[in-house]
Amino acid sequence: MSIWLDYNDVVAYKAYFIKIQILFLQFYFPYNDQIISRLTHPLDNMSHTEPSEDISRVYRFLSQCMQYPDAEWMNQEFFKVFYNLLGTLEAVEEGVAIKKALDSAKDYIEDLQVEYTRLFINGIPHVIAPPYGSVYMDKALQGAFAGNTLAFYREKGFGMDENADLPDHLIHELEFLSLLVEEKDFAGEEEFLNKLFRPWYEKFHPKVTEGAHHPYYRVVVQLIDFFTKEEDKDGFQPNEA
Amino acid sequence: MAFNLTRRKFLQTASLAAASVPLSKVVSASTGVTKAPLDTKGTAGDKTVVGGICEMCFWRCQLVGKVRDGRLIKLEGNPKSIDNGTAICARGNAGVQLLYDVDRLKYPMKNVGKRGAPKWKKISWKEALDECGAKLKSTVDEYGPQGICVFPHGASAKYPMHYFERAVGTHNVSEASFFQCRGIRDTAYLATTGKPPGEKIDMANTKVMFFIGDHLGENIHVSHIKQYIQGLQNGAKLIVADPRFSAAAAKANIWVQIKPGTDTAYMLAIMNYLVKNNKYDKAFIEDHTEGFEEFAEAIKEWTLEKAAKVCDIPAEQIKEVAEMLAANAPHVAIHPGRHVSWYGNDFQRQRALACLTGILGAYYVKGGWVPAKGPKVGGVSWAKGEADHTYDLNINHHDGTKYYTNKPPGTPTELIRDCAISGKPYPIKSCVVWGQNPLQTIPGQQKMKDLFKAMDFVMCVDVMPTDVTAWADILLPESSYLERYDFIKKGTQWDLSKEHQQYIAARMPLVEPMFERKDQIYITNEIAKRMGNESKIPVQTIEELVDKSLATANLSIEKLRAEDGIHIQPGKDPYGIPEDFTVVLYNEDLVDDGHPGAPTYKAVPDNPKGFARLLYGRAPVHTFNRSQNNVWLHNAMPDNPVWINNEVAAKLGLIDGDTVGFVNSEGVKSATTTTVKVTAGIRKDCVYMYHGYGSANPALSIGHGAGVDDQSLITKLAVDPETGCNGMRNNFVKLIKDGKVLDIPA
Repeated sequence: MSIWLDYNDVVAYKAYFIKIQILFLQFYFPYNDQIISRLTHPLDNMSHTEPSEDISRVYRFLSQCMQYPDAEWMNQEFFKVFYNLLGTLEAVEEGVAIKKALDSAKDYIEDLQVEYTRLFINGIPHVIAPPYGSVYMDKALQGAFAGNTLAFYREKGFGMDENADLPDHLIHELEFLSLLVEEKDFAGEEEFLNKLFRPWYEKFHPKVTEGAHHPYYRVVVQLIDFFTKEEDKDGFQPNEA
Repeated sequence: MAFNLTRRKFLQTASLAAASVPLSKVVSASTGVTKAPLDTKGTAGDKTVVGGICEMCFWRCQLVGKVRDGRLIKLEGNPKSIDNGTAICARGNAGVQLLYDVDRLKYPMKNVGKRGAPKWKKISWKEALDECGAKLKSTVDEYGPQGICVFPHGASAKYPMHYFERAVGTHNVSEASFFQCRGIRDTAYLATTGKPPGEKIDMANTKVMFFIGDHLGENIHVSHIKQYIQGLQNGAKLIVADPRFSAAAAKANIWVQIKPGTDTAYMLAIMNYLVKNNKYDKAFIEDHTEGFEEFAEAIKEWTLEKAAKVCDIPAEQIKEVAEMLAANAPHVAIHPGRHVSWYGNDFQRQRALACLTGILGAYYVKGGWVPAKGPKVGGVSWAKGEADHTYDLNINHHDGTKYYTNKPPGTPTELIRDCAISGKPYPIKSCVVWGQNPLQTIPGQQKMKDLFKAMDFVMCVDVMPTDVTAWADILLPESSYLERYDFIKKGTQWDLSKEHQQYIAARMPLVEPMFERKDQIYITNEIAKRMGNESKIPVQTIEELVDKSLATANLSIEKLRAEDGIHIQPGKDPYGIPEDFTVVLYNEDLVDDGHPGAPTYKAVPDNPKGFARLLYGRAPVHTFNRSQNNVWLHNAMPDNPVWINNEVAAKLGLIDGDTVGFVNSEGVKSATTTTVKVTAGIRKDCVYMYHGYGSANPALSIGHGAGVDDQSLITKLAVDPETGCNGMRNNFVKLIKDGKVLDIPA
C-alpha cells in the first residue's frame, strides 16, 4: 500500500483500523463497552449548542479532572463522561490504559490520591510537577508570574475566593478560561493562553508525562495540552508528545 | 501518544458538541475563580508589614516585609531595630525563597506505603489529628508516657516539647541544638561560671579579640558582625587560632596556624605563662574565683615549649599571644564559640576558654564577656508536674547516679536510641519529630533508621520534606516563621557603650499561611485533646500565647504593631561584676564525677598515614544543608571547593579547579565530586570544605551534585565524656582524582 493516500483511502483505512481496535478490545477488554460505543456511535449524544458553550464546558471539565481525587466526584459517571470524551478524540489506547489501571487497583481512589500527592503536592524530597505557573517561570511559588496572573483575572473582572489555591494553579486557570469563553471574550482567551498559560504549561506537561506512574494523569495533561495548544495556520499542531 | 485530530478541526466539528454536554454533568462547584469588581493596574495595594523575626538562623534579626497582593516581595531589616538595624544577611533575604519553596509541605499527609519508602496521600486535618491522637494515646496507655520519644528543634518546637515532657510526662526528648552543637559550650561554662555564655562578648569596645576557630565573616549574624567590625575599626587587635586562613584569620594581627584538636594545650600554655609570670588579674582571682592554687598546680606542666610541640606552632608565638592578652586585660574578648562539637575533648577546651577569661579578669568589664541587661518578658507554657525520674534513662537505677552529669536538658540521643532499639530497660514505641532532621543532624543514620523501624507510630511536623519525614506515618505541615506568631525576641542596642536601650519584638506573620499549614499551638492542642489532656491546655491560640507573654512586660500584639513591631525602652548599664559571680577554676564536682578538676588537654587521634583530617565550617550564605536548594543562595555560592595546601597539591599534581572525590579512612566514598582550591592558607595535614553541599539526591533540582557532602564522610564519631555530645572532626580522607586514590604526603 502506498503511503500516499487520498481522502477516501484515509476514511477506509481509518474504518479498518477502528474495526481492528474493536476486535482487540472485545477480546482483551470485554468490559470496555463505553469506549467501543463511542467509536461505533460517535454522534449519539449530538445536540445543538454554541461552540463557545462547548469549549467552556471542556475547560471546566479539564479543571475538574485536575482536582484532588475524591470518590464524591471521581465516580463511575465521571469516568463514563471521561471515556466518552476520549472516544470522541479517537484516543482508544489511552482510555483502555486508564481503565486497566483503575480496574487492577485495590482502591483506585487511593491510588490516584497517592499519585496526585506525589506529582502535584509533595514528594520526598521533591514534588514532581507542581501545577503552578510561577514555579516554572520564577522557580518558586508566588513569584511575579503569579502576580501577573491575578492581575489579568482582575482586569477581566474576576478575583479569587478566600479559600482558593494560588491564582496560577492549573485548575483556576482552566476555570478562568472557561469563564472568559462563557463571556465570549475570545481575544482574552487567546491572550491569556499565549501570555500566561502556554509558557509554563509547556514546561509542566513533559514533567507529568515523564514522571507519572498512573496513565490517568498522563492523559489528562495531554488533553489539556490539546485544548490549549496553538496551531499553525493550516491547523496542524506540532506533535510534542 | 497523541490524539488523532487537530484541535481546530475538532472544535469545528460536531464531535465537540456531542462530547461537551455530558461534561457539565460531572463538574462540581467552582474552583474559586469568581466575579470581582474591576481592578486598576498598579501598585496601590503594596504595603510594608512589620513584626517579622528572621529564622534563617538562630540570631533572629528583626524584619519588615514588602507585600504586594498578599505576596511577600522582599524582606528588609526593620528600620526601628537597635539590633540588626536595616541590615539583614544573604540568608535573611532569601527567606522569601524558603517561604515560596514549592517543596514545602502544604497539607497533612498519610503514609500508605512503608516507613523510609513512603507513599503519601493528602488527608484532612481531622483525619490526621485523630490518628496522631489515637496512636500516641494508645502508646501511653500500653507502655506509659516514657513510651514516647521526641526530637524537637526550633522556636516552634518548644510548646509541643513542653507538652510531651510536662503534660504527658516523658523524659525521652533530645534536641540536636545541644548534643551536636553548643551543648558542650553551655555546660562547660555552667561548670565554670554558672552561666551559659552565649556569644556575649563586648567586641565593639574591646582591645583584643581572641578566637579559637571562630570564623566570623564566613559565619554571619548581623549584630554580632557589627560588634566585630566596630571593634576592628576602633583598633582592637585580633588573635585567631585556626588551621586555615579563614576570613577572620585574614584580618588577624596574629594567626596561630594550630594543629587541629590541640587548642586546649595552646590555652593551657597561655594560662600557665600568665600565672608563672604574674601577668594574671590578681584582684579578680582573689574576689571572684575558686580553686586557683589547684588550677595553677594542674596546668604547670604546660610550658610554652611543650605546647609548641603539641600544637605544632612556635613557642614564641604563644608567648606573643599571652603578652598581648596580658597587656590589654581585662579589656579582652575571649570568644566562647558556638558550634563546638569537634574532637570529643571539647568540654575541656570550653572550660579553658572560660578559665582564660577569668585569669584575665575579663568578665563584666568593657570589652570582655558582658551579658547585656535586656528586658524581662515572662513565658507561658504547659505547667510543670512533679519530677518523676523512674524512667529517666540518664539515671543509673542501680546506684542513683547520672550517666552524664553535665548534660543539657532532655536525654542524650544515644540513651534514647539504644533504649528504643533494644526495648531495654523499657519499650519506646512512638516517636514525635518536630522541626528536627535527626537523620542528618545526628550522626549514625542507620541507628536512627533502626529506631524508626522499632516504632508503632511515627509523626513528623515540619515545613519541608526533609529526609526524616520519609519515615513518618503522619506528616503535618507547619506554618513557617514568616507566616506565624511565636518567638519573642528581646535584647539591647548592639553597641554596649552607646545609650542603654532595651527592645522587645514578637514574631508576627508577614503574610497569611498558604495551603493548610497550621501553627504549633493548634497542632499540639488538638493532639492533647485527643490524648485526654484537654484540661491542661495553657492557651487556646498562638496569639493568646504571645499576648500573655507580652502582658508580663505591659505589652500586647496590638501595642507592638502600633510601635512598628518593636518596643524600645530605656536600658541599664551592663558593666560591673555582680558580687557573687564566681569562676570555678578547679571544679571539685567534676572531680567527684571522675573528670579532671582543671582544664586538661586530651590528645586526639593522629592522622593515619596517607590521610588528611577533614575540617568543615559554615558558608556565609548557607544555613547548614537547610538552604542548599535555595536558588538565590545557590547562585551566590554554588559549590564547596576543597581547600588543599599548595605544597601538598604540588606533590599530588593537583592544580586549582581540578575535580576530586574523597574516600575516608573507613572506606566511605563521597557520592559526588568538587573542585580543588589550592592555597597556602591551610595546613598540610588537613583539608577543609564548607558544610551543607553535595546532595546526592537527583530529585534536588538546585543543589544536586553541587559540591561534596562533608557529613557523608563523617562516619567516625567521638563522644565527649563529660557531656555525651558528639565530636565530628576526627575523620580522615584521601582524594580521588580520575578514579585514582591519592595518598596525602606526610
